[in-house]
Amino acid sequence: MIKSHPGEGLLYQYVSGDLSAAMTLVVGTHIDMCKTCRQTVCDIEQKLCEENLDTLVSIASSTMSKSQCDQMLEAIFASSACNKQVHQPNELLSLEGRRFTLPRTLAHNSHRIGEWSKLVGKLWRAPLTLDNGNQTNLIYMAPGAKVSEHTHKGLEATLVIDGIFNDEQSEYRDGDFILLDPSRTHTPETQNEDCLTLATLDAPMHFTSGISRLLNPFSHLFFR
Amino acid sequence: MQMVSGRTSKRGSMTTTQTDAADKAAALLTEIAENRSRAAFSEIFRLFAPKLQSYATRQFGNEQTAMDLVQETMTNVWHKAHLFKPDRGSPSTWIFTIARNIRFDLLRKNKKRKDDISADELWPILSEQNDSLDDGYALDHDVLMQEISHYYAKLPDAQRVVIEKIYIEGKSQQEVSDALGVPLGTIKSRTRLALKKLKELIVDND
Ligand SMILES: [Zn+2]
Repeated sequence: MIKSHPGEGLLYQYVSGDLSAAMTLVVGTHIDMCKTCRQTVCDIEQKLCEENLDTLVSIASSTMSKSQCDQMLEAIFASSACNKQVHQPNELLSLEGRRFTLPRTLAHNSHRIGEWSKLVGKLWRAPLTLDNGNQTNLIYMAPGAKVSEHTHKGLEATLVIDGIFNDEQSEYRDGDFILLDPSRTHTPETQNEDCLTLATLDAPMHFTSGISRLLNPFSHLFFR
Repeated sequence: MQMVSGRTSKRGSMTTTQTDAADKAAALLTEIAENRSRAAFSEIFRLFAPKLQSYATRQFGNEQTAMDLVQETMTNVWHKAHLFKPDRGSPSTWIFTIARNIRFDLLRKNKKRKDDISADELWPILSEQNDSLDDGYALDHDVLMQEISHYYAKLPDAQRVVIEKIYIEGKSQQEVSDALGVPLGTIKSRTRLALKKLKELIVDND
């Protein structure tokens, strides 16, 4: 049972397309794993569609003329189906003798997962190349791994893909989406089980100032 | 950390006019997908192009970019109509999410490098891959059978008939489609809307 979800504001921004690519990926992957949020997203899509498309009356001055319409129709009929070179989704991830199944959105972007590198302790990291300027990583913690206590500013989201980790406050399992409280330091660790997480450090574009100052359990190690 | 605190969904009850419009658009999309009908597409285009243009003009404040969004969105509708899933949402919601994706890419066009991620990779709504996300609108069967008899009478006629045939007479969606002479896509979208409505009724009356 997933107990920690993105807030509804974040889901709205996800649907309207106003989050950064990295945050969209993390929230989208949570939605793949979470039936509750998937339904909320369906509702939000319908609501935003009603607000942005259904109820909009065309502004008289900018309405398309008949000839514009005909021209565009002609261009569309003449166009060929744009079959962009799409990468085959690959939902299998092997690491340290473990096999993980990646959720849909992540599987669609498996070609963006870079080389794994071993870090201190029992930690591994693979960067995801999305676009300029964001820092997104898959992080694997073997059983008994521990990230030393630290603080860091900047908005970060962490999603548990598979496994369990805990900090002083709580325990997080498959599908849990975490934005951390800026007022505390954290010491993420694994116990008997390992844990694969997806984490990003970046700010959604229209976030209010309060939320953009959040603590991140991993950033000390991974985002410096 | 943010927790979900009892989201009660009261959104999105559609009026009869909206349902009719959705049925019509769904039938047009089926026609495009199955027969590549230019007439059906022209009709969809007339329904949606002005709305998309208005949406895009507000988003970009630039007429040329707005027209680009209209053209790219409708081009996708023409080529990808077969990917519309009537049981997942209404036609206009589907078209809105396509426009959302186009907008996402257009906003990044200037900064974008070749390998940068695109909207279709983030929201794979137009993926040909048959991803199996389980349907969020299936109701728990036991709950459904208990509750349905109390509430289904409150559904709009078109939806009630479909629910009756499927859940009480035990027909498949295809059989209902054949019996009523209504396209399968329409039956699927009516089922979805009816289940959604029932869920709201059940939640409201608990
Ligand atoms: Zn969720």
